[in-house]
Amino acid sequence: MLLSQNVSAVGPLNLYPMDESCTLKMTLRNLQSILSWELKNHSIVPTHYTLWYTIMSKQEDMKLVVDCTNITRSFCDLTDVWVNMTEMYIPKVVGYRGNAALVSCMGSFFLTTDTLPLDPPEFEIVGFTDHISVNVKFQSVAPKILNEEELQFYLALIEEQSGGTVKKHKPQINGNITENFSYVIDKLIPKTNYCVSVYFEPKDPRKINRSPLKCTVFQPGWESESSESATIGGIITLFLIAAVIISTVMMLKRIGYICLRNDFPKVLNFYKLSVLVFPELPRLEEVATVEVIHINRKKKVWNYNYDDESDSDNEAAPRISAGGYTTHGLTGRLCPASVSSATLEDCSDPAAEEGDLPEPEADAEALTAPGPRPWQSECTSRGYQGRGNLLQDPFSEEDSSSTEGSGDRIVFNVDLNSVCVRALEDNDDSEVTPMLPSRPEETVVLEDPDETESNLLVASGEGTQLPFPGPSAECPWPEDAPSDKSDTSESDVDMRDGYVMR
Amino acid sequence: MSVDPDVIRKCMWPVCLMGLFVTGILSLDCNLLNVHLRRVTWHNLSLLSRMSKSFPIECLRESKAFELPQEILSDTQPLTRDIKEAFYEMSRQAFHIFIQDTFKSTWEEKHLRQVQIGLDQQLQYLEQCLEEEEEENEDMREMAEDEWTQSGAPVPQLSNLELRRYFNRIDRFLKDKKYSHCAWEIVRVEIRRCFYFFHKFTALLRRK
Repeated sequence: MLLSQNVSAVGPLNLYPMDESCTLKMTLRNLQSILSWELKNHSIVPTHYTLWYTIMSKQEDMKLVVDCTNITRSFCDLTDVWVNMTEMYIPKVVGYRGNAALVSCMGSFFLTTDTLPLDPPEFEIVGFTDHISVNVKFQSVAPKILNEEELQFYLALIEEQSGGTVKKHKPQINGNITENFSYVIDKLIPKTNYCVSVYFEPKDPRKINRSPLKCTVFQPGWESESSESATIGGIITLFLIAAVIISTVMMLKRIGYICLRNDFPKVLNFYKLSVLVFPELPRLEEVATVEVIHINRKKKVWNYNYDDESDSDNEAAPRISAGGYTTHGLTGRLCPASVSSATLEDCSDPAAEEGDLPEPEADAEALTAPGPRPWQSECTSRGYQGRGNLLQDPFSEEDSSSTEGSGDRIVFNVDLNSVCVRALEDNDDSEVTPMLPSRPEETVVLEDPDETESNLLVASGEGTQLPFPGPSAECPWPEDAPSDKSDTSESDVDMRDGYVMR
Repeated sequence: MSVDPDVIRKCMWPVCLMGLFVTGILSLDCNLLNVHLRRVTWHNLSLLSRMSKSFPIECLRESKAFELPQEILSDTQPLTRDIKEAFYEMSRQAFHIFIQDTFKSTWEEKHLRQVQIGLDQQLQYLEQCLEEEEEENEDMREMAEDEWTQSGAPVPQLSNLELRRYFNRIDRFLKDKKYSHCAWEIVRVEIRRCFYFFHKFTALLRRK
């Protein structure tokens, strides 16, 4: 609405019609109180403006702002005019074209609450090797409102990463805001774009006027070095971790906590199919060396008295071999008489000749079988691997098979489980005291119920695969031999002597 | 002397409950009065500003000078208790004005309620702190009175009296204008101004 009346600089308020044809704003630009206005109707363009104001607390007339009289700009600096923060100011702007007032508008401003947020100050950002520096420029002359303690304006920086994360910094400003100051932003991520905005944060958090963002990419100078050092550090770390793991595993293995050895003997390996399907028969026991002492003794009731007076000559004290066998003297000739401590090896040769055995000795000879050398007799004719019917032939031919316990000893291996003994034809003084295979710890009495031949003690050598059956029943007694010896030996070998005929 | 675990167990819950209430108890610490008043006063001031978008310029012609007693912030350095009493008087008077139920159409209900609640809280806080201070300084009251008489200026009484007169003028203005819209707007602006004045007043409490 056009005003044709001249506007008086000073006049009663009620002479001026109220008009709201423009919008008034109060801002703090560069820390200065700036009143700006904007016409709502842009078709009306005044050539110059004039500003008046008054206050609410008193009934006063409008006061002319001298610095804002007939101005062509649409704003006015009221930093030094509006200084009382407790007052409510009523400004009035009149637009003229020539001498005619085209537009008039008024407003009310309570500076504490109605002032628009402070315009952000000017600032620059500088990127360094390890930080970003923000340099804020303040005006040398600060408006009084900023120095008012109640306003509490302060600077707030916004750190905005490329990912959208916003971090706020509130630098402390000591004293009046009159000097430039710089703020350092560190702890930044390399190769990241950082944007900074500066603004004043008034008491009313809703009124914040942020500055445009200024961005820079943070690229520290020692970036390559840092990346290389980071890579090296990572490799070293991985190496250390691997070393720790390996050493731990090795230690556990050494302790035996893990990866236990499973080196069982073959016989304990039960996971072979062949073993499961075709179980192997256990090997026969190996026989330890035993010493048999041939004792010539008369047939008598065995009283288990080894202290036999009659056979003192021939008697050899039974002794327990290392294998736990009680040795007893055996009648019979094993070897040529000349052999006193004949071994089976020696005897085997004569046995192989078969029949060329010489006269058996008069003395009973202990049979000594070397460990690994088996020998067999008639009665153990099956499965003998050894050879040498050592006792057979001599016994068959013996006529004076009485052996004399002259102390000759023949050491031979006896597998009592496979021993088959028979009564040895006993001469007058001889007595066969063979051993019973099944009772290696006892004396063995070989008894031939049918004959009186001397008993044979058949021993098997070591490692002999003698599938000799049970001791007593299966051992066939040869017919021939007893027949030959029937006249020579006594038949009754008494079991009660302690020997068991098998 | 060993403590019986049963006793500890029995006392644990009361101690915990007491600890929970410690924060509530400390919140009413009158040593932080200046901070509380500063915050509450500014809050009330903001509420008054938001109650109306802009002052209607047509009401300017009905404006009146209520003569806010600014002399209470003179250089005589009033005592802390005087400042507290002035605050209390101001809050009480302002609450009395805004509790009147005659401006429903002028402003939004919620804004008015917020102002009333804020003023009520301020009053309660000031009452408690003033009572505590009176109990503590009862022995020193005689000495203070001697000094007070020597200073010659009964500041506490004057400030409270001036404040009462000030708010009495406002109340009379409302009645004279028949609680019109412009009258309320003018009163709103004036009381906001008073709040801001007392907001500056809290700086004196902090300095003391």
